[in-house]
Amino acid sequence: MASTFPYHPEEAEAEKASNSYLMSLVAIMVGFPLPIINLLATLLFYIANRKSGYFVRWHCTQALLSQFSLFIVNSTGFWWTVSVLVMEDEHVSNPYLAYIITVFVFNVLELAMTISAAIKTRKGMHVSWYFYGPLTQIMCKP
Amino acid sequence: MKKTLVQAIVLLLLITGVYLLVSRVDWMKLFRIEKMSDALEKKVGDIVWEGMKEQSVEAGSEYNRVDSLVTALCKSNGINRKKIKVHIMGDNEVNAFAMPDNHLVVHTGLINAVKNNDELSGVLAHEIAHMELSHVMKKLLKQLGYTVLINLTTGEAGGEAIKQVLGMLSSTAYDRKLEKDADVKAVEYLKKTGISANGFADFLYRLGEKDGALGNLSWISTHPDSRERAKYIREEAK
Repeated sequence: MASTFPYHPEEAEAEKASNSYLMSLVAIMVGFPLPIINLLATLLFYIANRKSGYFVRWHCTQALLSQFSLFIVNSTGFWWTVSVLVMEDEHVSNPYLAYIITVFVFNVLELAMTISAAIKTRKGMHVSWYFYGPLTQIMCKP
Repeated sequence: MKKTLVQAIVLLLLITGVYLLVSRVDWMKLFRIEKMSDALEKKVGDIVWEGMKEQSVEAGSEYNRVDSLVTALCKSNGINRKKIKVHIMGDNEVNAFAMPDNHLVVHTGLINAVKNNDELSGVLAHEIAHMELSHVMKKLLKQLGYTVLINLTTGEAGGEAIKQVLGMLSSTAYDRKLEKDADVKAVEYLKKTGISANGFADFLYRLGEKDGALGNLSWISTHPDSRERAKYIREEAK
């Protein structure tokens, strides 16, 4: 959701903040189905911008935190799939399919939220997500 | 901080809730996965069997002996006897294996190597367990993949693929866990039939000693650690 920020970012800051979300989108296309790529891309972007303005750092942190939790969920799905394909005593089952469908739903939701955040922050608007926003607020100080 | 914690809990509950909700749907039935797997197994079984049926004997004393033991095991364990197709291969290979669509292949070498019906019943119960626990298709799917098996049924894979499947089923082992599962199930079948599992353990122990008098020991190469297996079968049989 859009909320207030201590200051209105300049054009260059807004662009960088927007790019932090775009990083995870580009990584989805390159890294699919390897979930680590998304996390690495946002982590590298976060490291590269850790001395940037507060607006950029804040959004890099939010993008990184969301990618981190997605990484855990997606990695579980990835390795479960590998075991279904490789191990003789593991097979396609209802719990497996339910997990993959749940992961897919949350990935689509996260994708929609990321695109929306990228567009809004590019316009200089502040976007604070449920849970990730308050967590970023704790971790990222002006 | 408190707000963040509350939101973290709410988010976790939401994800868990969605998963539990999605889990209530029978996706296997919805996507017809089991039906498709059964149809694939039948086709693979028919094609592979077609490639080896000329060497099999479908009558005679050896066939009757195996057939009666299989019937007894099935009857005592509520297994549909009609679905298991028994085939005897006339050679000195000490081997027996299960094929897709419940084809049970037993070599005369194995029948001659066992000392009594208890030993033979143990081996048969073990192979029936592989069938009942769906190990045969699991093994083929893991080692060859859906694409090769589907190509096999459409004729695109050719004779080499059929040989590969046959070789895989007759001369390579299941993984250790599946072998143990089949052994445990076999002991259960034997107990319910009123047959002592010690016969099965004795036979495995003799295989473990690689007794040259037994002949061409294919079954030992597909079923490693025979002595260890004999030990836990005796334990299970108690």
